Amino acid sequence: MTTTTVELTGVSHWYGNVVAVNDITLTVGAGVTGLLGPNGAGKTTVLHMMAGFLPPSQGEVRLGGHPSWRNPEIYRQLGLVTERESMPGFLTAWEFVLASAKLHRLADPRQAASRALDIVELGESQHRRISTYSKGMRQRARVAAALVHDPAVLLLDEPFNGMDPRQRLHMMDLLHQMSEEGRTILFSSHILEEVEQLSGTVQVIVAGRLAASGDYRHIRRLMTNRPHVFTIQSSDDRLLATVLMRQESVSGVELEPAGIQVRANDYGTFTRALAKVARDEHVRLIGLQPADESLERVFSYLVAT
Amino acid sequence: MNLTITRITARALLGRKRALLLLPMPALLIGLTLLANGTGVPAADWGPIVLGEMGITVILPLTALIVGSSVLGLEIEDGTITHILAKPLPRREIVLSKLFVAWGVTTLAAAAPLAVAGAIAGGPGLALGLLGGATLGALAYSAVFLAFSLLSRRPVAIGLIYIMLWENLLVRFASGAKVLSVQRYTTATADTISPSELLNATLPGVVAAALAVAVIAAGTMLATMRLRSFALTGETS
Amino acid sequence: MSRPHNAGSVIHDIGYQRYQGVRFGRRYSARSMYVHSLRTAYGFGRSARAKLLPCGIFALACIAALVLVVVSTQLPEPVLSYVGIVAIFSYGATAFVAVVAPELVSRDLRNSLLPLYFSRPPQRSDYALAKLAALATAVFALFAGPLLIMFVGLAFSGTSGLSGMLEQSGLLLAGIVTAVIHAIVLAAVALPLASLSGRRVFATGIIIAFFLIAAPVSGVLREIGPGALADLAGLLDTVSLLNGVDRWLFDEGLVRVGSYGPVYGLAAAVLAAAGTALLTLRYRKVKI
Repeated sequence: MTTTTVELTGVSHWYGNVVAVNDITLTVGAGVTGLLGPNGAGKTTVLHMMAGFLPPSQGEVRLGGHPSWRNPEIYRQLGLVTERESMPGFLTAWEFVLASAKLHRLADPRQAASRALDIVELGESQHRRISTYSKGMRQRARVAAALVHDPAVLLLDEPFNGMDPRQRLHMMDLLHQMSEEGRTILFSSHILEEVEQLSGTVQVIVAGRLAASGDYRHIRRLMTNRPHVFTIQSSDDRLLATVLMRQESVSGVELEPAGIQVRANDYGTFTRALAKVARDEHVRLIGLQPADESLERVFSYLVAT
Repeated sequence: MNLTITRITARALLGRKRALLLLPMPALLIGLTLLANGTGVPAADWGPIVLGEMGITVILPLTALIVGSSVLGLEIEDGTITHILAKPLPRREIVLSKLFVAWGVTTLAAAAPLAVAGAIAGGPGLALGLLGGATLGALAYSAVFLAFSLLSRRPVAIGLIYIMLWENLLVRFASGAKVLSVQRYTTATADTISPSELLNATLPGVVAAALAVAVIAAGTMLATMRLRSFALTGETS
Repeated sequence: MSRPHNAGSVIHDIGYQRYQGVRFGRRYSARSMYVHSLRTAYGFGRSARAKLLPCGIFALACIAALVLVVVSTQLPEPVLSYVGIVAIFSYGATAFVAVVAPELVSRDLRNSLLPLYFSRPPQRSDYALAKLAALATAVFALFAGPLLIMFVGLAFSGTSGLSGMLEQSGLLLAGIVTAVIHAIVLAAVALPLASLSGRRVFATGIIIAFFLIAAPVSGVLREIGPGALADLAGLLDTVSLLNGVDRWLFDEGLVRVGSYGPVYGLAAAVLAAAGTALLTLRYRKVKI
């Protein structure tokens, strides 16, 4: 599958005099990307602009090289799962997905519909009315409708909202699988662990502005003005602590039952110095873990004012 | 026109209990005609009220308003419109399919009963005239209310004010307004097909039909234009 | 501010606990609901879009009144009396209540706000009556604007000075009485209908259908009925009924009532009482 990218160039959107999205330039390529931000940051506005449901007030939104706004042709390569879970409840999932297939003018709509319903594992209840479905089942039916034409780009707004843990895992598997097929998948979330489990690549939006893009571990490393924290287990914690304190790159050491916690100013210098110090002092290193590389730390750093 | 959209829209409209709300109005119209006809009072006394003031002036626009603002307005209100919009379909096709359903249902629920009432009051000629006029009127009203549902978040309120204040009040008192009145087009067309003393036509039939076509075209084009640039916004409140 | 507790846990006192101040009772909350609803009716405190329809209808009524005044001052006799203007504008007022009544009650139903109201001092009937009073006041305001314009226009353009003004004041009083009656009856009919549906679309539809369909039915019966039936046909349609009351009280109005004037008066009273009772009952029964 060839990669279709979504590109935003200098995009802003304002409602009246409230700026919801402020000068964002980003590119989303193949694989799973998380669109991360606190509630009200402008995630849905960004997704709606990508999906051609909102005009950018300024800048350009392109999907596969074509503008999204006023261009229904983009929906040939785009599947969209909006946050509002409204569906025509009087239809069954089968009718709903089949109608989507027909509206896409697929050659074999029945086959496409049953394939999509199989992917989301909704086969058993597909002939029940949607109004009788649980929240998770509705969500899956909506995903099936978005997948029915085998789109190269899939946009999902808060896809895990209201799902139970099992459904959540299933959905994550599904997204992983589809990203391995070379699709471009962008999903928004304000829950960090979802993004962390699903993708290394994030686009972080805070108050309408793009705060960071890329692999969140790399992003963390770029934040040099804030100390990195490592947890180290060794054969002699106390000795290692004393010698580490002498290092320029270290700003603090704490002895803890589980090992020592080291705050380092510079990631590169510290990791090189640690190996040397350990060898010189004959201390055997048992474990070395970055203590604050979790997305939550990255995020709270970016959001902090 | 798109058969899938037409079918789903018709099911959404007629497949639920709500559709029963469309029944009392035609039943009342025909029942009242039968009652009046039974009293022996000449049709010239009550005909204009039953057919004109009730049928053409109230039941036809009201049915068209309920139907016309439901076919698209309800989907916009509850957000299901995104499912149709996220498809590679020309927006004209969506609008025409919705218009077709609104027209068909309004014709069935208002124009046909009006023809039956006309048959009772004045015979087959009047029935044919009313059917023709009201079918054209149904299409014109549907186009107007479809456009309203894309212009405003409260199409029913706007449509109601249009029916009550423009069509029913202003057209009656300000004669210039009749040029832009679907109710006048309906009456004039009916009277041209089958001239009747029970109808109170104020426009030449050809002019009325031409103006009606213009209104239909304008409504459809406006709706298509608005749907092309349809921007999703949050919940209405 | 914070009170320490065991093991580092703490309950922050941010002012909601142990409130010692005065608590206002039912009457205060009923009055608050009334004021809030009255503002809602005209869209005050809400977006410009919410003001458009109610304020637009109000503006139209005032403009129409202004035109009537200007025309009247050019003629030897006024085209319309104060009672007459209320009678004529009642038709427009039905459109007004069809738009406004759903704003007052349907949104609360739709957004499940009733539990929030009913878990506080006001009782269910307080809610219903406050909404009804607010709608009636809003409709009265719709009549009051044109009446005032007409009074100012006629009283100050007259050449008869103070006696002319006194005379106009007396006539205005009749107009105000008419406006009060019309406002109460229209509100008492529209609000119970609106409270049937949580979707404004349907609530508006039910109200319009009720007002619009009844008029021609009563019109036909007036044409085909023999004497007494024709005189009583107006009872079927709310606007005709109100015009019948005007005829009975002030010998003005658009409807023929024969010798059945008091019947119209009684019917209006019964309609207002029944509407109020049904609305109260509806909110007593509503599930929250």
